[in-house]
Amino acid sequence: MLLDFDRLGGLKWVLVGIGILVSAFLLLPILFTVALSFGSSQWLLFPPPGWTLRWYEELWADPRWITSTLTSLQCAVLVTLLATGLGLLASFGLVRGRFAGRETVRALFLMPMIMPVIVVAVALYAFFLRIGLGGTLIGFVLAHTVIALPLAITSISNALERFDKAIEDAAILCGASPWEARLRVTIPAIRDGLFGAAVFSFLTSWDEVVIAIFMASPTLQTLPVHIWGTLRQDLTPVVAAASSLLLLFTLAVMLLAAWFRRRST
Amino acid sequence: MSSISIPNRRNAAARPPPVPSSGVSFVLPALLLILAVFILPVVMLLLRSVTEPDPGLQNYRELFESATVARVFVNTFVVSGLVTAIALLIGFPIAWLLVILPKRWADLLFGIVILSMWTNLLARTYAWMVLLQRTGIINKTLMGLGLIDTPLPLVNNLVGVTIGMTYIMLPFIVLPLVTTMRAIEPDLLRAAALCGAGRWEAFRRVLLPLSLPGIAAGGLLTFVMSLGYFVTPSLLGGAGNMMAAELIAQLVQSLLNWGLGGATAFALLVLTLALYAVQLRLLQRGRSQRGG
Amino acid sequence: MTPFLDIQNIKKTYGATVAVQDVTLGIGRGEFVTFLGPSGSGKSTTLYVIAGFLDPTEGDVRIQGQSILSVPSHKRNIGMVFQRYTLFPHLTVAENVAFPLRVRRRPNDEIERKVAEMVRLARLETVRDRLPSQLSGGQQQRVALARALVYDPPVLLMDEPLSALDKKLREEIQYEIRRIHQETGVTILYVTHDQEEALRLSDRIAVFSQGRIDQIGTSAELYQNPATRFVAGFVGNSDFLSCRIDRVEGHSARIVLPDGACVSGVRSHGTVRAGSEGTLMLRPERVRIRNAASNTTPSENGAAGLSVTIRDITFLGDNTHFAVETDWKQPMAIRVPFGRAGAEGLAVGDRARVDWVAEDAHVFAESANG
Ligand SMILES: Nc1ncnc2c1ncn2[C@@H]1O[C@H](COP(=O)(O)OP(=O)(O)OP(=O)(O)O)[C@@H](O)[C@H]1O
Ligand SMILES: [Mg+2]
Repeated sequence: MLLDFDRLGGLKWVLVGIGILVSAFLLLPILFTVALSFGSSQWLLFPPPGWTLRWYEELWADPRWITSTLTSLQCAVLVTLLATGLGLLASFGLVRGRFAGRETVRALFLMPMIMPVIVVAVALYAFFLRIGLGGTLIGFVLAHTVIALPLAITSISNALERFDKAIEDAAILCGASPWEARLRVTIPAIRDGLFGAAVFSFLTSWDEVVIAIFMASPTLQTLPVHIWGTLRQDLTPVVAAASSLLLLFTLAVMLLAAWFRRRST
Repeated sequence: MSSISIPNRRNAAARPPPVPSSGVSFVLPALLLILAVFILPVVMLLLRSVTEPDPGLQNYRELFESATVARVFVNTFVVSGLVTAIALLIGFPIAWLLVILPKRWADLLFGIVILSMWTNLLARTYAWMVLLQRTGIINKTLMGLGLIDTPLPLVNNLVGVTIGMTYIMLPFIVLPLVTTMRAIEPDLLRAAALCGAGRWEAFRRVLLPLSLPGIAAGGLLTFVMSLGYFVTPSLLGGAGNMMAAELIAQLVQSLLNWGLGGATAFALLVLTLALYAVQLRLLQRGRSQRGG
Repeated sequence: MTPFLDIQNIKKTYGATVAVQDVTLGIGRGEFVTFLGPSGSGKSTTLYVIAGFLDPTEGDVRIQGQSILSVPSHKRNIGMVFQRYTLFPHLTVAENVAFPLRVRRRPNDEIERKVAEMVRLARLETVRDRLPSQLSGGQQQRVALARALVYDPPVLLMDEPLSALDKKLREEIQYEIRRIHQETGVTILYVTHDQEEALRLSDRIAVFSQGRIDQIGTSAELYQNPATRFVAGFVGNSDFLSCRIDRVEGHSARIVLPDGACVSGVRSHGTVRAGSEGTLMLRPERVRIRNAASNTTPSENGAAGLSVTIRDITFLGDNTHFAVETDWKQPMAIRVPFGRAGAEGLAVGDRARVDWVAEDAHVFAESANG
C-alpha cells in the first residue's frame, strides 16, 4: 500500500508537501538567477529596484565572453566527435570481442569517471606542461575526451548489448558484407545509444570546470573558466545573465533529447 | 509413458553469439588514449610524491603529521558525511514520490530534478553565492520575519559549502534510488498490509530494506564525489576551511609543492578507490544473497 | 544422382563438447525437411554451419555438387528465418523486405516489383509501412519470411521461427508456410522441437538426438517404424515396458515380461540380442482394454496381453484416456476412441485386461529407464 499513491492517507500529503518544498529548493536558485539577470541592481538586491537589459549588453560587448564561448563550443564539438567515435569502436570491442583482459580494459575505461576530478586535473596539468600541450585546444580536447569516454562507452555498450546480434547475422545472410551490415543495420539500430553518448560527451566538455581551470592560459579560456575567473573577482550580475543564457541552452538540449526520444519510440 | 511436450529449456540467449570475433583492435584507439592521457599522467603525479623534493617517503610523513592536512581531511569528511546524510533524507521522499506519483506529476518532478542537474555547475553555485551572502535574500527574509537580528554567516564557511553541495548532489541520490524503488513490486506492500503490517511496520520491515541497495549506491556515490569536490568548496567556502581538493590545488598551483600535492592526491585516490571497492563488495553480496 | 543440398559428415566440437557428430543428409530440390529434436541436440548448430555462421570441425556442405564452406555467409545466397525476431528495427516492413535487394544493388523498379510480390505472398499489405515495433510476433516472422525469400534463395533455413508464438497463431502461420512452400518451390530446412509442427509441415523429418541424426524418414515411417527407442518416444506417444529378450529371428522377437508372460512376433529394432534386457514399446491408441472378468484368453484372438489396475480415467471428447498400472507397478497409458466397445463400465481401481496385435509391439535394446 505504501507504493499505491491513493492508499497512502495522510502520508500522501506529507510526501507531496516535501515534494513541493524540494522542488522549490531545486528551482528557486535557478529562477532567482534569471530574475537577477534582468534586475537593475548592481548589488543584486532582491526584489530588484527596476528591470534592465544592461547586463546582457555588457555581456555582448565584452569580447572575452564571446571568444570563450566559441572556444567552449569548438572544444565540446570536437570532444563529442572524438568520444563518440572512439566509444563506438571500443564498445564493439568490449561487447562483441573475446580477448584476454577484456574486463581489465573495461575497468580502465571507467576509471576516469570514478577518479576525483581534481587528481586528473592536477596530473594532466603537470603532464601537458611537460609535453607542451598546456593551454592548447588539443590539450583541452584530449583531457575532456578522456573524462567523457566512460559515459560514452557506457551509453553505447548498453545499446549494443540490447541489440540482438542475430539481426546483424540476418543482414549478412541477406547478402550484406559484415561491414555493410554494421553500417546499415547495427549503427542505425543503436542510434539512441549513440545520441546519448554524443549528448553526454558534449555536456561533459561544455560544463567542465576543474580541468579547464588548470589547463587554461590567458589567451585560451573556455566559458566555465571565464565565469570562474569573473566570480573570483566579484558577484557581478553579468554572470547572472550568462547563467540565464546557459540555462536556456540546457533547456534546449533537454527538449531536443526529449523530442528525439519521443520520435524514436 | 513419454509425454508429448519436449523439455524446452531455452539456452540460446545465454550462449555467446555464433560468429567468433576477436575485437582487440577495436578497443585499441580508446585504450591508447586512456593510457597516454590518463594512466601515465596520474602515475607520473604519484611518482612525484616519492621523488620531490628528495626521494623518499617524507611527503607521506608530512601528510600524516601536519595539523593543517589533518584539519582539511576532517573538514572533508564532515562535510561529505553531512551532505550525504541530508541529501539522503531529502532524496528518499523524492524518489518515493517519483515512483508512485501519477505519470504527469512524476514527469514534472523528474524534469525539475534533471533540469537542476543539467544546469551549469557554476551557474548553480553562483546562485547560492548570491542567495547566501550577508545581504542575500535568505538573510533578508529571516531578518524581515524577525527571526534574527544580525545576518547569519552563511557563506565563506562550511555551512555554505554544505548547502551548495547538497543541492548539487541531490540528483545523484535520487536517480539510483528511483531505479531501486521502481523494481519493488507494489504487490509486496499490499501483501504486507494484508499480513497486518501498519504503515510504519510496512515501511520499516519491507519498503526500507528493499530500498537499501539504492540508498547504499546513491549514498556512497555522493560521499565519494563529495570527498574530491573542488568547485563548490572553493567558491562557497572560506580560506580558513579548506577541503581536500582545494588543498591539492593550492599545494601545486600556489606553493608549487608537487611532492606533498602528489601525496595528498594519492591519499584521496586511495580513499576513493577503497570506498568503491567496498561498494562493489556490498553489491556482490547483495546479488549472491538474492541467489543469482 | 547427387542431392541438391548435400550435408556430408558434419562434425562440430567446442573444446571437449561435441555439439554435432557425423550428420549426413541429402536433400532434394524443393523438398521440405525438418530437424526435430530436443533442446541442445545440435539442430541449430547444423543450420548455422549451412548458413556459414559456424565452420564445421569436419565435413562438407554442397549445393548442386559445389562445396560452399569457403563462401562467406553474405555470398551464400541462402535465406534464413531466425528463432528470435531479427527485423531491422529502424526500417519499415517494405524496407526490411527490400534490404537484400538493396545490398545487391538491384535497380529500383525491380526492387519495387519484387517487394510488392513478397508483401502480397506473405499477406503483409496492410502493414507494409509500419516499423517492426508496431507489429505482432506473427507479423514479424512473416516479414522475416518475406525478407528471406525476396532474393529467390535456392535454400531457406528456418530455426524454430514460431516458437515464440502462441498455439493458434502458430498453426495459422504453419499453414502459410506450407502455402508459400508450394507456391515458390523453395527447398526448406526447418528446425523445431514440436513434433506436431514437424508432422504437419514436412516431407521428411530428421530426428536429432545428442548431436546425431537418429532417423530420417517421412512422418509415417517414423511413426510406424521407429529406428530407436528415442525416436519412438519423440514421435507420437508411447508406452514403454521393460522386458527380457528371449529369442530373435530376423526382425521378429519373442520377449518375456516381468510377470512371466511370453509375447512372440514382436518387431525388433536395432541390435536386439537374445538374453539381454530390452524395452517393449506400444502406441496408446493401439492397445485395447477390457474388463478382466470377460473371459477370453489373448492367444485365442492372436493378441498378447496382461493384467492391469486402473488408476485414472479422463474423458477427452473424441477419446478416453486410461492411466493404468501393471502388476509390477509400471505405468501405462491407453487411449480408447469414443464408441469403441469393450471398455464400458470400467472404473478407477478395477482390474482390467489390456492386449494388442502382435505386430503393433516393438522392442528396442535400450532399457526402459534409459
Ligand atoms: N559456443 C558454444 N560453446 C560451447 N557449446 C556450445 C556452443 N554453442 C552450442 N553449444 C552446445 O552444442 C550443443 C548443440 O547446440 P544447438 O544450439 O545446436 O542445439 P539445438 O538443437 O538448436 O537446441 P535448441 O532447441 O535449444 O535450440 C548444445 O549442447 C550446446 O550447449
Ligand atoms: Mg536452436
